[in-house]
Amino acid sequence: MLPSGAVWTAALVFTPLLAALACFLAPRAANWIGLLAAGLTTLAAATMVPTLMTDGPLRIAVGGWGAPLGIDLYADGLSAVLLLMTAVVGLGVSAFAPAYFGAHPQQRPWFWPLWLILWAALNGLYLSADLFNLYVMLELLGLSAAALTALSGGGPALNAAMRYLLVSLLGSAAYLLGVALLYHAHATVDIALLGARIEPGMLANAALAVMFAGLMLKTALFPFHFWLPPAHAGAPAPVSALLSALVIKGSFYLLLRLWLDLFGDLSRLLPELIGVLGAIAVLWGALQALQQQRLKLMIAYSTVAQVGYLFLAFPLAGGLNGTTAWRAVVYLALAHGLAKAAMFLSAGALLRFAHHDRIADLDRAVHRLPLTLTAFVLAGVSIMGLPPSGGFVGKWLLLEAAFQQDRWGLAVVVLLGGVLAAAYVFKVVGYAFTPTAIAQEGGSVPLSMQWSALLLALGAILLGFAAPLLLPLLEVGAPFEPIVGMPS
Amino acid sequence: MAWLTGLPLAVDLVLGATLLWLAWRALSSPDLFQAVALFIAFGVILGLVWARLDAIDIALAEIPLGAGVTGALLLAALSQLQPAEVDARAAPSATEANEHQAGQPGQTAETADADEAQHKPAVFRALLAAVMGLLLFAALFSLGLVTWQLWEPSSGLTQQVNTHLPESGVEHPVTAVLLNFRGYDTLLEIAVLLLALIGVWSLATASNLGDTTPEPVLAALSRLLAPLMILVAAYLVWVGAHAPGGAFQAGSVLGAAGVLLRLSGWRLPAGAAGWPLRLVLALGVAVFAFIGLAVIGLGEPLLGYPTAWAKHAILVIELAATLSIGAILASLFIGGRP
Amino acid sequence: MSSVLVLALTGAGLTLLGLHALIVKAHLLRKILALNVISSGIFLLLAGLAARTPGGEPDPVPQAMVLTGIVVAVAATALALALLLALRSATGRTRLDDDNGQ
Repeated sequence: MLPSGAVWTAALVFTPLLAALACFLAPRAANWIGLLAAGLTTLAAATMVPTLMTDGPLRIAVGGWGAPLGIDLYADGLSAVLLLMTAVVGLGVSAFAPAYFGAHPQQRPWFWPLWLILWAALNGLYLSADLFNLYVMLELLGLSAAALTALSGGGPALNAAMRYLLVSLLGSAAYLLGVALLYHAHATVDIALLGARIEPGMLANAALAVMFAGLMLKTALFPFHFWLPPAHAGAPAPVSALLSALVIKGSFYLLLRLWLDLFGDLSRLLPELIGVLGAIAVLWGALQALQQQRLKLMIAYSTVAQVGYLFLAFPLAGGLNGTTAWRAVVYLALAHGLAKAAMFLSAGALLRFAHHDRIADLDRAVHRLPLTLTAFVLAGVSIMGLPPSGGFVGKWLLLEAAFQQDRWGLAVVVLLGGVLAAAYVFKVVGYAFTPTAIAQEGGSVPLSMQWSALLLALGAILLGFAAPLLLPLLEVGAPFEPIVGMPS
Repeated sequence: MAWLTGLPLAVDLVLGATLLWLAWRALSSPDLFQAVALFIAFGVILGLVWARLDAIDIALAEIPLGAGVTGALLLAALSQLQPAEVDARAAPSATEANEHQAGQPGQTAETADADEAQHKPAVFRALLAAVMGLLLFAALFSLGLVTWQLWEPSSGLTQQVNTHLPESGVEHPVTAVLLNFRGYDTLLEIAVLLLALIGVWSLATASNLGDTTPEPVLAALSRLLAPLMILVAAYLVWVGAHAPGGAFQAGSVLGAAGVLLRLSGWRLPAGAAGWPLRLVLALGVAVFAFIGLAVIGLGEPLLGYPTAWAKHAILVIELAATLSIGAILASLFIGGRP
Repeated sequence: MSSVLVLALTGAGLTLLGLHALIVKAHLLRKILALNVISSGIFLLLAGLAARTPGGEPDPVPQAMVLTGIVVAVAATALALALLLALRSATGRTRLDDDNGQ
């Protein structure tokens, strides 16, 4: 009897990968191949949900060998929600892309294979239980992301892509160093086996240090965020959406996995330090966003701030009801994925309309592009954390954990970050209502671009209502509880 | 390589010191051409070190890939960075001038790279250097200490590999790990190569290399060498089943043959430069993925070839991978889209 | 056995040497060289320690990992060099611009 899990896990990685090959071989049909692959990959992600809910977490031995000799795939609730978010954002961006690249036909045949490989890498990352296989996924992710960043050409984009590539390669090299140390100490790279074998000591601390440094660099946690704003702002709009919504979540997920399954008990000091960096990122990123003149740079700095929130769970996780903090930041990561993709796609639509993204010159855009501005505002509601959005649920859970542990400082940071986010979102909305001295000419924006942004933004709001469905899914395999049993 | 293993500790100390010295010089010599040459030498010595460590498979990949292909790529890039101004090398005054002319194409003497950022105050730079030196020293110290702790013998996964080797379809352990036990990694790694090529083509610098008329001697020699290299590549694939060798080593030799042919003035026929070339480039990932997925239909897990067929499946995968890797490496070197 | 230790320590040294150059050197070709030295150092650590088996036959798993790593490094180098050439032809610069693209 064929386990159906084997089919959907294979489909999640190989549908986008093989579609990328097809786009490379038949560039003229790339739009259709890409859209078809996006649909099928989303379908595979959707079929995964009932299987996981009924059968529990899934472990698959690739090649039938099993760890430690072979590579194992593992899917639990944490993998599942991130795979789903990737599928929804991926579908939205794929629907946006044909119309967007209609105006940039020389970029289109390259966008599709690069983006589909990136999707395969993300899905592969969320499904892998093998530290070295994860290294290959990280490289696949980093190289495709850097190539996509360079897609629009021009000095600033190429400069940003180059810096991004160097940072990404350094990050994965540091990660690989940790993998090398762990393999030679414990003769396996399987996360679950390592979790059972790892012991506190100098070697574990060294592996923790290099792997976390490398992954924090890739996730752009303050002060490693320097590469993010130019890269995320300089890329073509659909690529910006992918980078901000999806790519940084990949390395964050890996950090979380390593902490939960390997390193969580090693240090009391490190989580506090990470929390401080996260808090600085929330405030500093938001203040920078507030000062930007360009819409895409503003959205990029907002990502710096939102990344900060994800790290606020580390100091809370060890305390009373610490798992609530993990649930909170995973929910924030999902909400940020949908909302930030919607924001960058809205910015892409506005750019198409006005041929610039100067915030001060938006000139009554709200009357002329109502769908796009609605998308931007709805996404903004989730970024601010107002009810009933997904961002609200995440922040509510985070505040709950902070209050239970009397961590008032963290609670203040969470609230202050929301106020600052409101300030930069309303700054944009304000200018969008205001006529400029010289009326701006506006081009036409295809409806598929406007609607894909709007649907993603609605998704970020609906995420607030989906908590009763998603939180139980997240619990499959109890990813946040200490490991008790060993894999068979 | 038993003769190498028998040599005393002094050889290792010399090899290690040579590696460190070559790397340090490659990273600090003022002339970029010299830096690249030293880096290639570094790759060759590293290849010797692999042989010394009984890692013949890695040595066979390090020398053609790490030293050869990477070196060729670096030299090709360098030749495009410095059009005809080889004499401007290592002139500090020229570099000073560069700082004021940044942004003007064609004005910069790229051979001399004034490295340290010069617009920051001297005290700040000195402080930064001191802090960084301290941090790096601390890192080196702890990394060394950790390595020291790992010194005691450990067999790693050697026993598991040997136990399952008869089921893998090949007799050489490294090939068994690459193509069977951890075949998923290898499939994705060929995808990384293809991805790099797609990225390079998307940048469309399209600076076709080797479009100058080739030296007659070089042309004749290349046409003689290329068939020989193709033969060597075929041998390496075949031998990989039971001895060091395999698709990556063979593919890099094939790629080198392609580069030589290209340098000798040979061009792909116009009809082959479009989708036929792309088909060859994608073949490795496609065949590997197709076989890996087809076995699911037989009730096997992903990439789980039945033992009876494993030998043939691996050979087909390796042949396709060798062709693709060779074509991808040659295309990466040539750079522009065909 | 001592050879394993010497060469693994060399790997550690190479990694840090490369890291230093990656931070300090401004020319992008030099940064690309530095990244290659870093990965070579890590490979030496990873596959070097594979030779410390009691039986004398080296552990094939890290060797296969390093083979994978070498191929990935070549791919990354090719992409980085192509980006460098594209940057140079667009801006005339061979080093990164620090002004965050504003």
